[in-house]
Amino acid sequence: MTNYIGKSVKRVEDKRFITGQGKYTDDIKIPGMVHAYILRSPYAHAHVKSIDTAEASKVPGVISIITGADIPEAIAGVPCGWQVDFKNGDTMKEPPHPLLVRKTVRHVGDGVVLVVAESKAIAKDAADMIDVDYDVLDAVADPKAAAQSGAPLVHPDAPGNLCFDWELGNPKEEVAAALAGAHHVTELDFVNQRVIPNAMETRGVVAQYDTAYDKYTIYTSTQNPHLIRLLMCAFVLGIPEHKVRVVGPDVGGGFGSKIFHYTEEALLVWASKHLNLPIKWSSDRSEAFLTDAHGRDHASNAKMGFDKDGNIVALQATTYANLGAYLSTFAPAVPTYLHGTLMQGLYTTPKVNVDVKGVFTHTNAVDAYRGAGRPEATYLLERLLDLGALEMDMDPTELRRKNFIPAFDGVEQEGYQTQVALQYDSGNYEPVLDRALEMVGYENFRKEQAAAASSNKILGIGFSTYIEACGIAPSAVVGALGARAGLFESAQVRVQPTGKVSVYTGSHSHGQGHETTFAQIVADRMGIPLDDVEIIHGDSDSVAFGMGTYGSRSLAVGGSAIVKSIDKVLEKGAKVAAHLLESSVDDLDYADGKWTVKGTDKSVSFGDVSLTAYVPHNYPEGLEPGLDFSSFYDPANFTYPFGAHVAIVEIDKETGAVKLKRFIAVDDVGNVINPMIVDGQIHGGLAQGIGQAMYEGALFDDTGQLINGSYMDYCMPRADALPSFEIDRTVTPCPHNPLGVKGAGEAGCIGSTPAVVNAVVDALWKAGYKVKDVPMPMTPERVWTAMQG
Amino acid sequence: MLVKGNHEFNISKEMLWSYLMDPEVLAKITPGISELEPTGEDSYNTISNMKIGPVKGSFKGKLNVIDKEEPSSFAIDMEQLSKIGNAHGKISMKISDADNGSTNLAFNGDVKLSGMIARMGQRVLSGVANLIIKEVFASLETHISESTA
Amino acid sequence: MKHKISVNINGKQCEGEVEGRELLVNFLREHQSLTGTHIGCDTSSCGACTIHLNGAATKSCTVLAVQADGAEVTTIEGMATNGELHPLQAGFKEEHGLQCGFCTPGMIMTAADLLKNNPNPSEHEIREALEGNICRCTGYHNIVRSIQHAAKNMNGVTA
Ligand code: FES
Ligand code: FES
Repeated sequence: MTNYIGKSVKRVEDKRFITGQGKYTDDIKIPGMVHAYILRSPYAHAHVKSIDTAEASKVPGVISIITGADIPEAIAGVPCGWQVDFKNGDTMKEPPHPLLVRKTVRHVGDGVVLVVAESKAIAKDAADMIDVDYDVLDAVADPKAAAQSGAPLVHPDAPGNLCFDWELGNPKEEVAAALAGAHHVTELDFVNQRVIPNAMETRGVVAQYDTAYDKYTIYTSTQNPHLIRLLMCAFVLGIPEHKVRVVGPDVGGGFGSKIFHYTEEALLVWASKHLNLPIKWSSDRSEAFLTDAHGRDHASNAKMGFDKDGNIVALQATTYANLGAYLSTFAPAVPTYLHGTLMQGLYTTPKVNVDVKGVFTHTNAVDAYRGAGRPEATYLLERLLDLGALEMDMDPTELRRKNFIPAFDGVEQEGYQTQVALQYDSGNYEPVLDRALEMVGYENFRKEQAAAASSNKILGIGFSTYIEACGIAPSAVVGALGARAGLFESAQVRVQPTGKVSVYTGSHSHGQGHETTFAQIVADRMGIPLDDVEIIHGDSDSVAFGMGTYGSRSLAVGGSAIVKSIDKVLEKGAKVAAHLLESSVDDLDYADGKWTVKGTDKSVSFGDVSLTAYVPHNYPEGLEPGLDFSSFYDPANFTYPFGAHVAIVEIDKETGAVKLKRFIAVDDVGNVINPMIVDGQIHGGLAQGIGQAMYEGALFDDTGQLINGSYMDYCMPRADALPSFEIDRTVTPCPHNPLGVKGAGEAGCIGSTPAVVNAVVDALWKAGYKVKDVPMPMTPERVWTAMQG
Repeated sequence: MLVKGNHEFNISKEMLWSYLMDPEVLAKITPGISELEPTGEDSYNTISNMKIGPVKGSFKGKLNVIDKEEPSSFAIDMEQLSKIGNAHGKISMKISDADNGSTNLAFNGDVKLSGMIARMGQRVLSGVANLIIKEVFASLETHISESTA
Repeated sequence: MKHKISVNINGKQCEGEVEGRELLVNFLREHQSLTGTHIGCDTSSCGACTIHLNGAATKSCTVLAVQADGAEVTTIEGMATNGELHPLQAGFKEEHGLQCGFCTPGMIMTAADLLKNNPNPSEHEIREALEGNICRCTGYHNIVRSIQHAAKNMNGVTA
C-alpha cells in the first residue's frame, strides 16, 4: 500500500514514548557534567544592594558562583524578535533583558545568581546560603493600572510603562460614527486573563563546550533550535553560528512557551565555556511558573454596533496588553499582528478599528501561548456576538449567518479582503455551523433548556464561529509587519542509494507527530512504503535550517517544503528512469514507486533509479550523480482555518457550579493528512481553551507576587473535569499550498473559550439573570456572585 | 495577606499591657516565633519556625515594637526572611475595655509575602495566620491563668 | 550520610548508595538511568513519576529512596515482556493516547493499577482514576479510549 494521505496511520514515534525511551533534555547525561541552579528574586521590584556568596562558596561540591557583575558587559541580554512601533512612528521601547540582573530585579523569578555544583542538590543548598540584600520597591502587575500615571515604572526609559501603542483598521472616527448610527451597540469590558502554559516537561538546558573543536553543543527543550541558535549567536553571545550545534531533543509539550530564546540558554552556553565544563540546568515546576513566558493577559473594551436587522455595522476594540517586565522573543507581535488582524472574524463588518497598548508590568514575560492573539480576538468577537443576540433577542446562530462572509474558494472567487490587512485564502462558513447544530440537536436543546429554566439546574448553550490565521508568511510581509526573521521553512529529502529516504525538516515536533505525518506525505508522493522513510528534526547540525514549529505552521509551511524537495527528487529520478528505459521523460508515468513507459509494461523501480543515481555507470550524460534535494518554501499567504464550536453547560443555581455537559467542535483545517492526529490536536486545544474559561488564571497580589504558582494552586483541567468531545470537520482546501492544508494545532484552543463563557451567560440570561459577563475562570463563586446581581 | 481578629482576656488593660511588653511573652504571641533576642529598646532579632501545608521553613528576622501608647495600643513591625520566602508587615494591636471588666485585644495588619510562601497556598494562608494568632492568644490566656493562679 | 539500599527494579536487584533526603524518582532517574519515569512538578500533583511500588501505583516523588529499600518496583521500562508491548502500551499507540509522551509513562502505570483492580471500568471510573495525573496535550479524550482499548484486549486474553 502506498496510499497514506488521509489515513489514520498510527504514530511511529510512539514506540519510544510508551516504553519509556523518549529522550528529553533532563534525560541527557554527559560525562563530567555539572549542575546549575539559579537563585531568583523573591520580589517583583527591588534594587540589589549586595550579594554575599562567602558562605555558599564554602559548601563542598560548589564549583562556581556567578552574579550579573561577573558576566561581561558586552553581553547585554536576550533580544526581542519582533518590532512594533508607536503610532507616531517612534520605535517601541526595548529595554535590555540581561542574563542575570545587575542592579534591579523586575519580576519575581528574575535570575540573580548562578550556582554551579557537582549536583543540583548541592547547588540548591549553596544557593540557600547566599545572602542577597534587597531594597524593595513598589510594583505593578495589572496592565491597566501600569498604564496610569504615577504607577511604579518597570523601566526608567519607558514612560507610562508603555512599550508601544498601535492601531489597525478603519479610522477611529469612521468607526465611532458607524457606532453612533447603529440601531444597537453591544459593549463589554472584560479581562482575558493571564494563563500559564504548563507544558508537562519543564524547560531545561544542557550546554557543553568542546575545546578541541572550539564548538558548543546545546540541548534545550525548544520548539525551534535554529532560531535559538541564530538569536543566541548573532544577538547575545557573538559566537559564530557554525561553531554552535543546537539540539531540541524530545520535548514534552510547548504550546508556545518553548518558542522563545530564554536567558538560561545563553547563560549556560556562556558558563560552559567560562568554566570549561558541561552544565545542566533543569527548571523546577515552581521555577517554571516564574520564568516560562505566560499567555493572554488583555484588559479590553469592545463595542459592536448592529443595524435593526442584526447586520454588524462596526467594531471598536481597545486593549491594554500586558507584556511583562521584559520583551520575550515574539511578545510585541501577539497583541498586535496576531490579534488585531483577526478582528474581522467570519463577518462582513464594514468598519473595524483595533487599538492596542503594550504595557510593561513587574511580572514575567507574556508571549505566544497556543493561539497567541487569535484566541483573544476570537474571544472578543464571539462574546459580543452571543451577547448582542441576547440583548436584541435574536437567535445567536441566525445572527451569525446574517453576517457570515459568503463562501469563496480562493481559486474561482478571490480571497476575501478584510478591513484589518489580511486577505483570507478560502472559506465556506455556513456548513461548519450547520453540521455543529445538527450534532447538537439544536431545536431539541432549546426545548430542554426552556423546561429546565425554572429548575435548580439551568442549562445554557454557547457558540463560537472562529477564524484563525496560521502559517504566517510570506517573509517579506511579516518583515514589513516587524518580524526580525523570515517565516519560511526548509526541507531536505535525501534518497539513500538503496531507495530509503531520510527527510530533514526545519519543523520541530513536540507532540504533533511529524515523524508520522511527514513520512505519510513522502511515502504517498513517492509511492514507497512508510517504513522506508525517516523524518529527522531538531538538530541544527543535521538540518540545514529551520524556523521551527508554532502558529500551526508545520504542515502548511514545513510540509510544503518537503513536497518541493520530493518534486525535485522525482523530476531528476525521471531523467534517470528515462535513460534506463531508453525512453523520454515525457513518455513516463510515475506511480506506486516506479516509472512506467506509457502504454507499455516497461518500468523501472524507484530503488533501481536511486541506486543508479549513486552508482552512475549507465547514466544520462551531463546529469549530476546523487538524489538529494533541499528546498525552502516561503508561502504566498497565511492559511485560514475556521470552525464552529458549541458548548452546553449546566449550572447549579444554589452553588454557581458549572458543569460542561457537552462540547461540539466542527473545524475546517483544509485537507487532512492524518485524521487521527488532527483529532488529537483538536482535543488538546479544546482542553486548554476550556481550561481558560473554567479553571485557569494566574493571580498576582498587589506586590507583584504570583500567588498561585504551583500545581496545588493553579488549576488545570484534569480527566474528570472534561467530557468526551464530539468533533467533526468540513474540508475547504487551502488554495495556495501544494497540500491544500491549513493548520490544526491551535484551532481547538481558539474557538472553545468563548463558547463556554457564552453558554454560561446564555444559561443565566434565559433563566432570568441579566448577566452580561462572568469573568474567567468561571469558578462557582464568580458565577454565583454574578447571579446575585 | 490580611490578618485581623480579636481576643478577650480576663485581666485589666494594664496587666495585659505588661504581659505583652514582656519579650518572652511577646515571643509567644507572634506567630511561630521561637526565639527573641533583644538588640535595643523594643527591637529584637527573631528566629521562628513555620509549617503550613507543604511549606515549611525557618525564618530569621527583625521585630520592632512601635507606636506604643500605653496601655491602649502598639504595633509590631516585622521582617522575616527565609529560604522559602520573606514576610514584611505591620500588625497593630488595640487594647480596650470590654464588658464585665475584661479586656479586648484586637489585631489588624497586612503582611506582604514573597517567594515560595507567596506562590503556594497564599490564598489559604491568611486564614491559617489568623488561626495561629488566635491560638497564640489562647495560650497566652493559659499562661496568664497559670501565672496568676 | 549515605545509605545503602537494594531495590528490585523490573525484576532485577539493584543496589545503590543514596542520601537520606533523596527521592525514589531521583534514584531511578539518576542512579539507575531509568529516565522513563518523569518529573513534572514539585508538589506531588502531576503523576508523571508514577511507578508501581510493591504492586501499587505510587508517585515516586513522594517516596524517599531509603523507604524503597527491599521493595519491588516496576517502571515503564519494565512493562513490556520479551519485547511484547503491555496491552496498555499497545492501547495508547492504537488510540493515539499520547502526543508529547511526557505524561504517558505515569498514565500507563496508573491505568495498569486501575485495570488490575477494576478490569472493566466505565469512562467515568477511568476519568476518576486519572485524577492524579495531568496531561496537557491530549485533553484526556484519547487516553480514556486507550485504556478502554487495553481493558477490552486484556479481558479478551483472560476470558
Ligand atoms: S513529579 Fe511526582 S507527582 Fe509530579
Ligand atoms: S502527551 Fe503531552 S502531557 Fe500528555
